[in-house]
Amino acid sequence: MLRASALTNQTEIDIQGVNGDASAAATGIEHGEELMKFAEALASGEAVSLSESREALLAKAGGNVLVDAAGVAANFQRMVRIADSIGIPVDNMETDLGQQVREELNLSRFATSKNTLSKS
Amino acid sequence: MSQFQYSDCQFPIRQDIKDAYQEYWTSLSLPGNWWTGAQRVEIAQEVRNAYSCNYCTDRKQALSPYHFEGEHSCSTSLPAIAVDAIHRIITDQTRITRAWVENNANQGLSKEAYVELTGITVTLFSIDEFNRALGLNPEPLPEAQSGEPSLHRPQHLRDDIGFVPTIPADGAVGEEADLWPNGRTANVLRALSLVPDALRGWMKVSNAQYLSMEGMGSMFKQEDRSIDRMQMELVAGRVSAINQCFY
Repeated sequence: MLRASALTNQTEIDIQGVNGDASAAATGIEHGEELMKFAEALASGEAVSLSESREALLAKAGGNVLVDAAGVAANFQRMVRIADSIGIPVDNMETDLGQQVREELNLSRFATSKNTLSKS
Repeated sequence: MSQFQYSDCQFPIRQDIKDAYQEYWTSLSLPGNWWTGAQRVEIAQEVRNAYSCNYCTDRKQALSPYHFEGEHSCSTSLPAIAVDAIHRIITDQTRITRAWVENNANQGLSKEAYVELTGITVTLFSIDEFNRALGLNPEPLPEAQSGEPSLHRPQHLRDDIGFVPTIPADGAVGEEADLWPNGRTANVLRALSLVPDALRGWMKVSNAQYLSMEGMGSMFKQEDRSIDRMQMELVAGRVSAINQCFY
């Protein structure tokens, strides 16, 4: 969805931000580095880095952005668990964009890829 | 309801977020399809117990989570098999397998009960995570309401994706006619559809935390949000990657 939204908005981005590359996260995305680090800290469960990244995002982008980012991050803490608890496969493995993103991010390294790839 | 007022919070939390959480809290306290109100609140309590469960921490490091003996930090009267499922969904979800779900069903945790339990677990978790993200304490759990589960099971189910039966794309009819926004579905929507209220519950929270299903169709910034779609998807992607989610 990141690649798709960037294409729609005709913005050059670097999706390696998803894998934790700070300068990639900042490419083409306002407050990208701070947003990425905030999301990473929440999902990692590290209290200190969460506090630090929250303050950094708040200082750079303000309270409204912080709240909306918290909502999205919390939402995906749920969504990944729905997918993995039920073992659902990816809906469509055939799209060029999807294949490209999965390759670039090397997503097949994740154990849950078996829920999709074992059916292909 | 006095919960989710966020009156002492220094951040500008949108009213639709507060409303969605309050509505979920009310539904959590009521009897569900396969669990009573008291059991549903206990499931929520076990989600919170999982955050600091030493056994879960140790098991996550084990080569195989299925041959690691120990006891969960538990404070409820839920069956051990349900407690284990809740804790596993929170702390070690990438190693959940079809065999484990099937074996649980044979041991008494039916797939219907598992799906409702999953819905409560993940939705409660996402609300708690929102608070944690902002440095806020979790909201006190609601008082359970009395009554019996409805035992409602959708009429049209198929065993073609995932570990449990789900409503197929053309099966959301009758009481389930509202399930697919704009008549379109996806595997992540179908996932919990064995218990339609579990799907309805997380979708309402998702509409506030992220976007409505209709809103997801647009790649541009939504008027009532402070971050644009690229910013949202960067956050979503990083959370998913840390969780090692292929989907």
